[in-house]
Amino acid sequence: MEFNLPENTTLIADTARRYLKDNYSFEIYRQHLEQQNHVDASRWSAMQELGWFGLPFAESSGGFDGTLLDVAMVVRELGAALCLDPYVDTVVAPGKLLEYIGSDATLAMLSDVIDGRAKLACALYDYHAGYQVLTPSMKLNGKRLSGQKNFVPDGGFADTLLTTALADGELVVLAVPVAACETTRHRALDGGRIANVLFDEVEITDGMILARGKKAEQALSMLLAYLQALDCARMYGAAGALYQRTLEYAKTRKQFGVAIGSFQIIQHYLVDMFIDLQQLESMLLMVAVKAESEDASRRERASTAAKAYYADKAVRIAQQAIQIHGGVGVTEELDIGHYFRLVTHCSLTHGDRAHHIKRFAGLDEVHPGE
Amino acid sequence: MNLEFTQEELEFQQSIRDWMQANVPDDIKRCSAVGEMTGKELQQKWERLLGEQGWLALTWPKQYGGPGWTATQRYIFDLERAMAGAPPTSPFGVAMVGPVLYTFGSQEQKDRWLPGIVSGGTLWCQGYSEPNAGSDLASLKTRAERKEDHYLVNGQKIWTTQAHWADMMFCLVRTDSTVKQQKGISFLLIDMKTPGIEVRPIYSIDGHHHLNEVYFTDVRVPLENLVGQEGMGWTIAKFLLTHERTTIAGVADSHHEISRLKKAVAEAPGFLDRSQARQRIAELEIELMALEYTNFRTVAATDEGKPFGPESSGLKIKGTELQQKVSQAMVELGGMMSLTWDNPETVGSDIFNRATRRYNFLRACTIYGGSNEIQKNVLAKMLLGL
Repeated sequence: MEFNLPENTTLIADTARRYLKDNYSFEIYRQHLEQQNHVDASRWSAMQELGWFGLPFAESSGGFDGTLLDVAMVVRELGAALCLDPYVDTVVAPGKLLEYIGSDATLAMLSDVIDGRAKLACALYDYHAGYQVLTPSMKLNGKRLSGQKNFVPDGGFADTLLTTALADGELVVLAVPVAACETTRHRALDGGRIANVLFDEVEITDGMILARGKKAEQALSMLLAYLQALDCARMYGAAGALYQRTLEYAKTRKQFGVAIGSFQIIQHYLVDMFIDLQQLESMLLMVAVKAESEDASRRERASTAAKAYYADKAVRIAQQAIQIHGGVGVTEELDIGHYFRLVTHCSLTHGDRAHHIKRFAGLDEVHPGE
Repeated sequence: MNLEFTQEELEFQQSIRDWMQANVPDDIKRCSAVGEMTGKELQQKWERLLGEQGWLALTWPKQYGGPGWTATQRYIFDLERAMAGAPPTSPFGVAMVGPVLYTFGSQEQKDRWLPGIVSGGTLWCQGYSEPNAGSDLASLKTRAERKEDHYLVNGQKIWTTQAHWADMMFCLVRTDSTVKQQKGISFLLIDMKTPGIEVRPIYSIDGHHHLNEVYFTDVRVPLENLVGQEGMGWTIAKFLLTHERTTIAGVADSHHEISRLKKAVAEAPGFLDRSQARQRIAELEIELMALEYTNFRTVAATDEGKPFGPESSGLKIKGTELQQKVSQAMVELGGMMSLTWDNPETVGSDIFNRATRRYNFLRACTIYGGSNEIQKNVLAKMLLGL
């Protein structure tokens, strides 16, 4: 085995880190929190120029053939920078769904994503079906689509939703214009934008149906594993930032005339964070390699385990970061609490801990080391 | 980035698996299937069998009797060993005094002691802890006075695992009490049959006798049994802490324990809540996966010639915590079936009936080898700069 990042991946990660350091900040983040649309046109087009929009997609789909590991390193940096730009929600997620479906029509839509012309988002969840993405409660009756989607991360600007419904018990993936729906938008826990979308007898034409049945199920399950890995990457970025900031704080904050990092209990808390972070890193590398496997059981085992683990340990790191910071850790003025919200947010998207533990318990056995 | 074993490694894995299948003695398999300790006889039989294969001193350089395997191969071997139900080998000879001898020992010492370790013929124990020198090891008081042709040793060691089995002890003794604590410690090899040594048993809460007190009264130890120079004992002890620790996490044995737990749950009578049990096991398996991939990273780094330093303390902490969690899950999922202590009949499940033995035994694993709190102190200082 070999765990070193490929040179190219390291380059991508370094470039992302530098770009965000120069062009993003906690102040910018806080301004965006109050706005409907987080996309700053010049930053968005710079991200495209950095190649991020094409990175997740195969060359044959018009992309730059990046691996999930490459994309995960970008997303890790976005998490570390607390960046709200909806790269995953409006580029990676809809783009990967289109690519996994892989029809002429969806690949044509994908080229608009890569060019930065598309304004897409995925609307996969509703509060009735919960995390059961393959059995949504929305129904397609003949040409009429009825139901609702919740928790839709649309960046505040998507004009077309890639969404799911059951048509006579069969799963379908559709592309529906936002203008045909009733949409209310609000702020999510991580500061991003999410929407509730009502589909009231929306008329569906054949061209709006992107995939059906097995094809649709397969594309969605591949997409979910991919996005679960990216949830982990984003949480890793945030947890790493929390650890660094907290370690720094423990060395500088003085009480009783000494740095609080001289107290054994604080040292042990920080060591626990360090060790957990080390294991989170192992799980990130594991899931970033395995979650795009063609083999469904390999993919699911990896993404399910990683997400369940992150929802436990990354959350714990975020909680301890606040505890060690004391009162200042719970204030809106300090970034610590914002990272905490980001980590909590990601621990709940695409399956929470209980969901993944349950799934993992139902997966097939493998011999250790395989 | 490559998370797969190579074709050669997979073939190696299969060959080890086949060998284990054919060669792990049945009485050992029987013990491990229900979770009973292998006694001295079985343990030694197993280690000698490995010795014959040249598979005992796994981490040693080839010239001293190691098999010349990569860290990855050693990891695979350990995994297949555990999954076949064979016990880990006793660490005192192969993992501790052996590497000390080929690193610090004289040619005579190497010639005299290494072959017995490689073959499994000589059993060793570790004389480190004392009643008032546990975590604070450097304050140890057992004295070795240099006489004309021998050291005269007086004092007491405690928690000495397998002292009652051992032929030899490697021992930290104070040869100079006028210098800084750490500087006055020496590393001595002591024949356990020397007059003046008394070994008294300590029974632990698993009901077994692993631990001992060892008393030294005017014990004469030949001068040539000093390893390195006088005063080098602390340096040697610290060297051991950085010696290969790629199996310190106990990943292989945790895999085996989880597989036993699954078997117990599958076979247990109807009152057990299987869905709850499966989820609890899933949580343990996921933690094991995180540990395993961290372990893989240390194995891969070792094979690249960049072994982990103090980071591997994290593996010890996480690994021992997980061993305790798995054994606790076994006790708790067994419920009333775990209440039996020495009933020879099976009540519901052999595995659950004996679960508390291992659970009780493993309370020690976060204490021995440097308690987890001491490991954290070391990490805070060396890695975090606190």
